[in-house]
Formats: sequence, structure tokens, C-alpha cells
Amino acid sequence: MSMMKIENLQATIGDKQILKGLNLELEAGKVHAIMGPNGAGKSTLSKALVGHYDVKITGGKILYKGKVINDMDAQERALEGIFLSFQHPVEIPGVNNAYFLRTALNAKRKHEGKEALNAADFLRLMKSHLEMLGMKSDMISRSLNEGFSGGEKKRNEILQMLILEPDVIILDEIDSGLDIDALRAVSEGINKMKDGKRTFLVITHYSRILDYIKPDYIHVLKEGRIIKTAGAELVAKLEADGYDAIEEA
Amino acid sequence: MKLTDLKDKNSQEVQNLLNIKNRANIVEKFISLGLPDKKSESYRYFDIEKLLSPSYQTLEYVPKTIHPADTIEIVDGVVTSAPEGMRIYYEACEVIDKEHFDPLYYLGHLLSPITIKIEVDGDAQLEIVHRYTQSNTLIAYRIVLYNQANRHATLYESFITEDIENTLVLYGYDMHIAQDSTLRVVKMQSMQDHRYSMIASHKVNVGKNAHAILKSFDIGGDQALQLLKVELDTHAYIDAGHLLYLNAASKRGIISQIVHRGEHSQSKQEAKTILDGHARGIFDALITVKPTARYTKASQNSKAILLHKNAYMIAKPQLEIDIDELEASHGATTGQLDEKQLFYLQSRGISYSEARKILVLAFANTLIDTIKDSRHQERIKSDFEKVFLKAEDTL
Repeated sequence: MSMMKIENLQATIGDKQILKGLNLELEAGKVHAIMGPNGAGKSTLSKALVGHYDVKITGGKILYKGKVINDMDAQERALEGIFLSFQHPVEIPGVNNAYFLRTALNAKRKHEGKEALNAADFLRLMKSHLEMLGMKSDMISRSLNEGFSGGEKKRNEILQMLILEPDVIILDEIDSGLDIDALRAVSEGINKMKDGKRTFLVITHYSRILDYIKPDYIHVLKEGRIIKTAGAELVAKLEADGYDAIEEA
Repeated sequence: MKLTDLKDKNSQEVQNLLNIKNRANIVEKFISLGLPDKKSESYRYFDIEKLLSPSYQTLEYVPKTIHPADTIEIVDGVVTSAPEGMRIYYEACEVIDKEHFDPLYYLGHLLSPITIKIEVDGDAQLEIVHRYTQSNTLIAYRIVLYNQANRHATLYESFITEDIENTLVLYGYDMHIAQDSTLRVVKMQSMQDHRYSMIASHKVNVGKNAHAILKSFDIGGDQALQLLKVELDTHAYIDAGHLLYLNAASKRGIISQIVHRGEHSQSKQEAKTILDGHARGIFDALITVKPTARYTKASQNSKAILLHKNAYMIAKPQLEIDIDELEASHGATTGQLDEKQLFYLQSRGISYSEARKILVLAFANTLIDTIKDSRHQERIKSDFEKVFLKAEDTL
């Protein structure tokens, strides 16, 4: 079943055309990995999917759960279940991590017609996930991403994912800057979210993360278009021959 | 009384108009600096003439019985209550700065020949509540404050008004922070339009090895200016933080001069300003390092966020340095809310308006969180949020 379908997507950042007629279908319950060289448009695609202000869609459409979301703003997309784990999460001094996350969770619960979670229940929920991710309990009271190491920032993104329980999870270079232990903890958090219904879009340069998060499909993105889609076996070929060896199907 | 009547008058005329005698030196200082107008350096962005030109009623400052209470309450310039045993006197100010940059510092002293003198005992925590009850009135008073050597006292200051309008308050401190002591002063002033305006002109002497921590939280509307001169002795330290949140058409700000006189003295000054509506914020701050102040460390920084296209910030951080052996830095930024931060919050399902509120409160909290006492910290947060969220709701 299709969770998200991207048809002939064209997008610019500033005056530069980055996505040039990209087609991609993401199936519910599957892990899709997008691999590609620097400058191929991987991060632009992730930004286009979450409604980032940098990206202007100039053609094509993004269908999410059968609905065109081209004009939907970032907040609505998030409430509808699209989540991006940022490559470089922004630091926000003065915003308490727990307060931020409870506000986000309760906005989603309100959108879904559920009651807001009180502070005590939220704290219990947050603590259980912190432990699983090997995060220190002071993450609760620290300012959002302020002074976090690269690994702490990525773990914090995964913490948000675990708490917000989105339907489509886009992981933009989730493995960058992570040591082996952090990579293992982050992957464990991601794998825990696999339930046969959620869709994962793993955007990466390298195959390392795919040792931990097993993909169902590999898509090669080059010059703003998907030029090849295959099963997990494509990773070995990419590792051996590089992106230049891949030709458009 | 009309303060503009003092403009361009000679010494005798000023003394006659203010009905004072034997204060020729202060009168001369006032005359040499001149009654401020829109061309005066310190007041050029402030619209001072609007405050000086009305005809105000004046008050008789007659000392009253001081009733025992938890806080020092000063009503229209007269102390009405204070903690038992508190040493409060009405006296002439013994030490008046001879080189203050602000003419209204001298005018304040001329209008208040008898000051409220407070001697802070030991490691006290004091609260001063200023209450104003008179409309269309010039309320002028000054406070002289001494603390004790080797002690660490804290002073919380707040302001209350009754249902008044168009009053002008001229007040200020002459603070003497004793050697090896610490004095923390936390000022919280939430103002509403048209009730009262204020010029607060202070002088702070920080003694050898003493620490002064001055934090001011000025929120809301109307017109108010804080003029602060600080002098630092050897190994003296000041940490000055100013939060300004202004809305409507208010004009408020700080004009300061921190003078490093002693070796190894340190100053840190940080201003955070949030401006909405047609508000104008002012941060005009000069750090002067005298030749005697080798190995000084000085830093000053102003960050301002404009929430509305008509809001306007004047940020002038300045250093005046006479020596080479020091570390000094200064900077100022003025901009809008960070787009990346706004987007990050929205990408987690938080609405634009909620994200905006979160970021503004966060910007303010970085300064509010420096208040050690959690009760006062919460009170300032709550007052700030009340005024900010009320203004947001009217958008």
C-alpha cells in the first residue's frame, strides 16, 4: 500500500533547480533508503517533503495518504504524521527540552482529538525512552539541543520520533557524527518504531547505517532524479563500484 | 511645576525656581550639562521634552512613621513600612558624583535634598516596593544605599501604581557597595501606558573586590529611561543584565557608563530587548577603561528581536580605552525571530503563533534564569508572560 507518492517533483532553492522531475513511491511498513552523491538533491527532497521554507516546489506533486500536500504548511504535515530527523538540529537556548516535546505531543494529541498528557505522565513517558536511548536524565531540563554533542542531538531527534509516533519518518544523514555506540542506540530506537505500518525514508551517503536499519528498497538519487530502484543487494554494488557506475534504468 | 522653566537659566534663577539654598556646586553641574532636550546625547532617542513640558503638581516629602512589614514600601517617595530593625534614615546625600553624565542625576539631587538612606545589614534579602498614587504629579526622590563589607545582600525592587495618569517619577540610587561584599539588585518594572513615566538615574560605586550584580526586567509600555553610572575599584566586578520587552508605542531603555578605575576590574553587560508594535528600545552603553585600570576585562553585548516592522532598536555599545593591557569585547545584533528555530518547532506540529511565543519567552528566559531565587524568578517569568501573552492575544 502506498503511504507517499511523489510524482515528477521539481523544486528550487533560491534560483537553483535541484529536483528535476523526481518520481518515488514509499510503501507503508517499508524501509526505503535514498543514496546518492553529494549535491544530488537528497536533503532538498527531505525538505520538500516537510514543507521547508527554503524549498519552492515548481512542478509535480507529493501525495500523502492519497492527498496532495504541496501547499500544506510544515505544522500541518507534522500533525498529519510526517517527521524529519534533521541532519543538523538547530539549538534553541531557553526552551526546555521536556516543555518543547510535551507541547509538540499535546499539539498532536489535540489534532487527533485526544486529551492532553499531563506533566507527570509525560515525564514518565520521556524517561522510559531516555533510558532506552542511553540518554542522561538531565536532557529533560536542558535547553533544546543547546550545547549538545553531535551524538546527543541525533539521539534527541530519535527521542522526539519515539514520543511523537509519526507515520512517515525521514532520517536525513542520521548516522553522521555518530560513534558506534551512538549509532547502535539510535538504530535500536528506529527499529523499535517498525510496526509494519510506518514508513521510513533513510537518506544517507554511506551504507554503514544500513547494517543497522535493514532497507527494503534502495533508491539512487542523482542530479535531482531517482535513477534506479532495487532491493538491498544494490548497496553492495554501490559500495564496490560507486555512484558513477549506476545508469538510469 | 514645569521643568522646562529650568531651561537656560542661571544658577540664581535655578535656585530660586527650585527654592533651594547652599547647593551651588550641584546647581552648577546641572547647568553645565543643561536641561535635556531632543539634542542631548543621552536623551536624543527618548522624546524627553514630552515628559518635561507638562505642568506637574509637586509633593511635600514629609517623613512618616515607618510601620513594621516584610518589605520596604515607598509610597510617592516616602517610606511607609519596613522590616523591623531596618536602618532607614532621612539624610542629605554625603557623596554625590561630580562627574555624572546625566543632568537629571543632578536635578534629582536638587529636587531631593533629603534622601532615603538605607543601610543593609549582613547577608540580608530585602524587597523594596515603590508605590505611586498621584496623577499629574512630579514624584522625585533618591535613595542612598550602603551595604556591609564581606557580606552578600540581595535587593528585589518592584513598582506598583494605583489608577493614576500622566505622572513623572524622577528617582535613583547612590549605591556604595562595600569592599569584599556582594550586592545583587533585581529590578522588575511592568508599566502600562499613560500611568506614569520614569527617569531613573543611578550611581553605583563598587569597592575593592566587591561584586555588583544588577539585573533589570522592564516590560510593557510607556516611557522610561534608566541612566546608570558605575565605577569599579581594584578587582571589583559588575554583572549587569537588562531585559526589555516593549509593546505599543513605548520608549524605554538604558543609558549606561561603566568606568573601570581599578586594576583587574571586570564588567559584563548584557542587554536583551524584544520590541513589538511601534516600540522603541534603547541600549546606549559606554565602557570606559582609565589608565589606572590595567588588566581589566570588559564585555558588553546587546541582542534585540523585532517582532513588528514598525519596532525600532537603538543599540550603541561603545568602548573607550586608554590602555593596552586588557581584554575587551562588545557587540550588538538586531533582527527578527530565527527562521530556522521557528521552522524546527513547526516541523514538530507546533503552530506558528505558539512557536513565536516559545521563542520569545526562551529569549527572555536566558536572562530571567540568571536570577538565583526561584520564587522571584517565577514571579518575573509570570509577569513577563502575562504582559507578552496579553499583547499577543490582541494581535
